[in-house]
Amino acid sequence: MLGFVIQRFLQALAVMTVMSIIVFCGVYAIGNPIDIVLPPEATQDIREEVIRRLGLDRPLFEQYFIFMKNLLQGDLGRSFVYNIPVLELIGGRLPATLELVLISVFSATALGVTLGIYAGYRPDSWISKTIMAVSVLGFSVPSFWVGLILILFFAVNLGWLPAGGRGDTVEIWGVAWSFPTLNGLSHIVLPAINLALFKLAMMIRLARAGTREIMLTDTIKFARAAGLSEGTIIRRHLLKLISIPIITVFGLELGSTLAFAVVTETIFSWPGVGKLIIDSIGVLDRPVMVAYLILVAFLFVTINFIIDLVFALIDPRVRQESAA
Amino acid sequence: MKNQKFLAPLAFALGLSVVGMATAQSLTMGVRGGPESMDPHFSALGPHAEAAKHIFDTLVWSGTDLQIEPGLATSWAPVDNDTWEFKLRQGVKFHDGSDFDAQDVKFSIERIPVVTGPTTTAIYVRRVASVDIIDSHTIHINTDGQAATLPNDFIRLFIVSSEAAANYSTPETAAEGFNSGTATIGTGPYKYVSWEPKGDLVLARNDDYWRGMGAWETVTRKEIPNDSSRLAALKAGQVDVINYVSSVDYLALERDAAIDNVKGDSVYIMNLQLDQREDTPLVRANDGSDLDANPFRDLKVRQAVDHAIDRQTMVDIVLEGLGRPANQMMPPGFFGSNESIPMPEYDPAKAKALLADAGYPNGFEVDLYCTADRLPGDGAICQGLGQMLTQVGIKTNVNAISKTVYFPAQARLEYSMFMNGWGTLTGEASYTLGGLAHSNNPDVKLGAYNRIEYHNEDVDRLLQTGAKMMDPDERRATYEEAMAKVMADKAYISLVQLQTVWGAKAGMLDFTPRFDEDTLAFFIKPAS
Repeated sequence: MLGFVIQRFLQALAVMTVMSIIVFCGVYAIGNPIDIVLPPEATQDIREEVIRRLGLDRPLFEQYFIFMKNLLQGDLGRSFVYNIPVLELIGGRLPATLELVLISVFSATALGVTLGIYAGYRPDSWISKTIMAVSVLGFSVPSFWVGLILILFFAVNLGWLPAGGRGDTVEIWGVAWSFPTLNGLSHIVLPAINLALFKLAMMIRLARAGTREIMLTDTIKFARAAGLSEGTIIRRHLLKLISIPIITVFGLELGSTLAFAVVTETIFSWPGVGKLIIDSIGVLDRPVMVAYLILVAFLFVTINFIIDLVFALIDPRVRQESAA
Repeated sequence: MKNQKFLAPLAFALGLSVVGMATAQSLTMGVRGGPESMDPHFSALGPHAEAAKHIFDTLVWSGTDLQIEPGLATSWAPVDNDTWEFKLRQGVKFHDGSDFDAQDVKFSIERIPVVTGPTTTAIYVRRVASVDIIDSHTIHINTDGQAATLPNDFIRLFIVSSEAAANYSTPETAAEGFNSGTATIGTGPYKYVSWEPKGDLVLARNDDYWRGMGAWETVTRKEIPNDSSRLAALKAGQVDVINYVSSVDYLALERDAAIDNVKGDSVYIMNLQLDQREDTPLVRANDGSDLDANPFRDLKVRQAVDHAIDRQTMVDIVLEGLGRPANQMMPPGFFGSNESIPMPEYDPAKAKALLADAGYPNGFEVDLYCTADRLPGDGAICQGLGQMLTQVGIKTNVNAISKTVYFPAQARLEYSMFMNGWGTLTGEASYTLGGLAHSNNPDVKLGAYNRIEYHNEDVDRLLQTGAKMMDPDERRATYEEAMAKVMADKAYISLVQLQTVWGAKAGMLDFTPRFDEDTLAFFIKPAS
């Protein structure tokens, strides 16, 4: 087990190093941030001064090594645009994304798996057909459009829910969360639905496909022959057997949604990290882009690691493999 | 267009929303962009200065039409060729109750070069050599040579409290001190309450403001960058007023009784720029082979381009009416705009004849580059331009791209024909012509944005002498002459002046659009 953890850790380190080089070179290739941030009145000498201050006059590899040296000391640098430490900037917006993403991914999974199992268990009923039809919609309709329609319908026409932004927050352990307040919750509902729709559709399809496959296997036949009730079969056997692909997808979706909930955050003006990275790309705020993408790489490695551990818990075959 | 007011309709459809309905004493603004820090000296970006104007005052005020007016300075005059005297306003108090005096001005001016970020505010004090305090309300600014436009430079020179900001005036400490509110002590109409980057800026009224008390007890400035989301927030009643209504939404809003539109002229003018180097990278013959010379060096070709453009159609069709045809790089009425410059006529036959005359009877091929995400309509104008030029025989490949890619490439001089907007934010010509039309010469600090290597001896001479003329009338005449010469050369071809639209709940606000597009809570009043 320890070897497994160390191996994963080294992998993470390698991924993050490669990531930082790619991002650094990529941003460098787009162009000089100075041409975007400099105001039009700036004369030639002012331009030189700003370039020197940001360290952009140094060669690329030197800029990279300075960045890595600071990184190893726990300093991800300061944003060009906000002049505050990058970690503080990202940390300040992480709770907003976290609560939105967790609410939408968990509710999409819970609802999606339930509906999916039903649709797989009773494939011919009209309810199942309706569920499947709706899931196709969830897949195929672009989420920015759904977001706008949700706003138009619930916020503009009906006036039930706010059109965007984050609501009132309360401090829990020094972090501002908006889900415990009624006003905060009313702000979360629409973006959460918008974000959850695609995941819901995917979970329905996964659970349905798994269910249909497992229901035909000998495991279920023997369980039925042993006289177990259908409820027990579904809970004890079916759910366990279909859960491996679902957990994998859940982990990946959680990671990618946390990192890139950009479209939803933009449409609903949600002050999360996805919007931060897009804004930073827009002004070539290199410290934020590099630091953020390295953190995202770290996030994915961590999530994958946790998923592997969960597999070992659920599936005895995986457990035996890693023990061997 | 100016002084246009929100009409008060008789029946204001109520029941828009139960969520976040504002009370009479509070104003919630939905704006496209926001400040990057609470330190007013950190950035020269428009939205940054706009937000800072709520909390801080500037030494010189720039009015609705960008005319300069007294701000914290009540009067100014040159003492000799390189000294300006500024008289400061008496009896002004900071939000913490301390008095405003000359020390704060000197402190602010000296602080700027130290704490500024990459969008550098050093431009406001670039001509300042030193500051002398004469008495508590008089200062002398010594400049490096004659600086005729010094008062114009000061329209975004924000004055912070020398006591409150004393410990927060290094690049490392400035953001901490100002973002936390400790040092965010100004003399402006509103006091700082809270702010988060890209989030809400919350303000409370300064009851002792020297211009008089503002109409709103609290002001919230919400950043909503997405155009559709901002409009949705207005329609849902979450915000009272929004800026930058897109041209598509503008047409729909005209028919919406619950929303008032206010249209204002913008300082931004779209300029087509034609590379003047002997070798230009993105022009070739129709069969793809190299041309003998850069066609844009030929005045006839440049005139042909000018005659190929139908500016009225650009405005009516492409911009949905939100603009005006432009014949020079600044809006009419600005200091140095020349009224005698004729509006170029749209004449495709003449354009073709000119091309044939210049030795290109079958035209040639060129790649056109423009920004597509910076100003309203920039990408669409680019498309229209491509079609109009292709019609007269200049086969134009349109590349409307992100400003993130466009500006660095433009600075590397990679383009032959390109278009972007330019806003004369100071309202006078040295800002625009000095940056664009003078040949790029670091020794005289002029021409830093001349990316087409445009060079005209007469223009260079006029701009250099104009910058030193202390007499306003002489200076105006000099810049008008320079403007006429630049526009006659047709290396810069001005196309359209943009207009901006604000939207507000019908009948609620009384509001005068500003030329620099700022949305300032103090100048928005409840409809009477």
